[in-house]
Amino acid sequence: MGEKKNRKIAFPMVARYNEVVRYFVEQGLKQTYIMQPPMTRHTLNLGVKYAPDMVCTPFKTILGSMIEALEAGADTLIMVFGYCRLGYYGELAETILRDLGYEFDYLNLAEYTTGKSKDYLKALRKLNPDAKAVPLGKAGIDGLKMLERIDTIESLYYQNCGFEITKGQYRKAFDRFMDDMSKAQKGSDIDEGYDRCRETFDSIPVDKGPFPLKVGVLGEYFTVMDEFSNIDLEQTLADLGVEVHRWMNVSNRNLHYPGEKNLNARIREYCTYEMGPTSTANIWYAKDCAERGYDGLIHVKSAGCTPEIDIIPVLQRIGEDYKIPILYLTYDSQDGSAGFQTRIEAFYDMIEMRKKVIH
Amino acid sequence: MEDVYMGIDVGSISTKGVILTKDNRIVASAYIWTEGNPIGAVKQLLHLLEEQVSGEEYRIVGTGTTGSARQLVGTVVGATVVKNEITAHAVGTTTFHPDVRTILEIGGQDSKIILVENGVAIDYAMNTLCAAGTGAFLSSQSNRLGIPVEEMGEIALKSSHPTQIAARCTVFAESDLVHKIQVGHTREDIVAGLCQAVVGNYLNNVGKGKKILSPVVFQGGVSKNIGVVKAFERQLGCPVLVDENGHLMGAIGAAILARRSKKRKEFSFDIEDMEFITREINCGGCPNNCEIICVYRDGQMIDSWGNRCQRGDAAAKKAARRFSEEN
Repeated sequence: MGEKKNRKIAFPMVARYNEVVRYFVEQGLKQTYIMQPPMTRHTLNLGVKYAPDMVCTPFKTILGSMIEALEAGADTLIMVFGYCRLGYYGELAETILRDLGYEFDYLNLAEYTTGKSKDYLKALRKLNPDAKAVPLGKAGIDGLKMLERIDTIESLYYQNCGFEITKGQYRKAFDRFMDDMSKAQKGSDIDEGYDRCRETFDSIPVDKGPFPLKVGVLGEYFTVMDEFSNIDLEQTLADLGVEVHRWMNVSNRNLHYPGEKNLNARIREYCTYEMGPTSTANIWYAKDCAERGYDGLIHVKSAGCTPEIDIIPVLQRIGEDYKIPILYLTYDSQDGSAGFQTRIEAFYDMIEMRKKVIH
Repeated sequence: MEDVYMGIDVGSISTKGVILTKDNRIVASAYIWTEGNPIGAVKQLLHLLEEQVSGEEYRIVGTGTTGSARQLVGTVVGATVVKNEITAHAVGTTTFHPDVRTILEIGGQDSKIILVENGVAIDYAMNTLCAAGTGAFLSSQSNRLGIPVEEMGEIALKSSHPTQIAARCTVFAESDLVHKIQVGHTREDIVAGLCQAVVGNYLNNVGKGKKILSPVVFQGGVSKNIGVVKAFERQLGCPVLVDENGHLMGAIGAAILARRSKKRKEFSFDIEDMEFITREINCGGCPNNCEIICVYRDGQMIDSWGNRCQRGDAAAKKAARRFSEEN
């Protein structure tokens, strides 16, 4: 990576988290952040065109959004890593982009996975050799705070927006909150935006009735969190009148993860070994939702996601033991939305009719 | 004047309709081919239904549509209920067979399994991205063999040694089929082998991991194939019931759902004479470029769908203005 004073940094589109990266780049690294346009069919088409066909869909959207970031003027890309094929994706994306003729500096975090903060600091210094540890630390703490706030607001949104009396109030408050986050310059901006959104949420009248339908959504890390990739799954469910719950987000999986061993102890009757980056958590969450008496579970994965394919037999056992219906959805880059709509509506009808018989 | 309810099920291959009384008596029914023209098929269907009830004292107060063209047809007939085919089939079947535990359904393009407990569906699965284990597989192979698809069942029953066909994939099945013909397997054995292959694929795909309990009801177009019914009975080890109205069950379910809904709207057969046109436009509001379907009745736009955000509504309105200027 060359020595450069003023960088234009970008990050692939991941759910609603790009505002967090923007905040950290601007406030901590004191560099320019380039925000590419929201993901659309065009993003996916770019990815499909240049990625290997059999790779999972998230790689294609990530690659597409990197291209869109470079086209928008970014000269430096940051890429994350994970414990499945995502660990190799950084390298693969870089090779493809360089073959396409793009010139850019690249920080692949997979090369700094020692877990020591000293090494992360070394990685960040590559982006700005003059970056000071104290402002970096401050921006890091504030950035993580923003991340947790986004996760909290998003989860409140999907649990409640399906029951508002006047349609659109929750969406308006949520959009306002995301707008506030995109303008945040300091920690207090984040707090103010968050407090305002919480207050508005609390003041919106909702009618849930005595037994609202509750559905737990779980599955593959990227597709389950990203509304473009899962074709607005959570919004579709909420619009039908469902309280949508999802544990999987960056706060829960990465910041407050109880640990593989601890989670594994809670699902001992279902599996003995660790099965993949999110498998243990998903099995535990499925069991947890079932024990809480939720009305159904939806398992989401992109086509070819091996860790999530592996947990399906375990989920089937949980479904039988707790008598909880489970819908399995596989997202592929070639899908239209009609098939998903049919399956989600049918699933809703099923759990709704079943609930009427139970109560 | 007796209040009755109409259900219309427009699938990829066939279009089905029933008129149902409040005590589940079928006073009119029809089953025709869709032939790639759902609106034309529905007009023809309505004509057939109208003939059967003409002169009778019936008033259709609720209309339900289902099947893959449910939204389009729902708009055209002014349906009071538009429901997905999985729910419609479950409701129809549990009404006529309250003790059913498993519903097997194989249609032209998709296949599904619905598990029932205490008269309500508790689990279902539907095939994805693959024609193996559907009616499309049987009809493409019957074409190759030069046998009408309707006769396959009877031919299959004559076989005592069904041929093993590598049928995991429809495309590869075809090459294996040709090979088996060339090495001298009889037609009966091959047809019986195909019926078994459909069942094997169905149970390995949509039926995977599902506990199939008796009583089992089998429906959809393929249930008319006795060879497939027998193959199911052999593999499941229990009797498989095929209702004489099994092919109408989606339409029956839609009619029952229209009756259960509180919405009432008197249906008039006048729409047979109206002109309906659909137009596809690309929104263009953002790079997502949603495909929006606009439906016009006698030149007036009556509905549009397909957009993921409000920008699409504006695009549809603009298209409607342009459409009325052009015509």
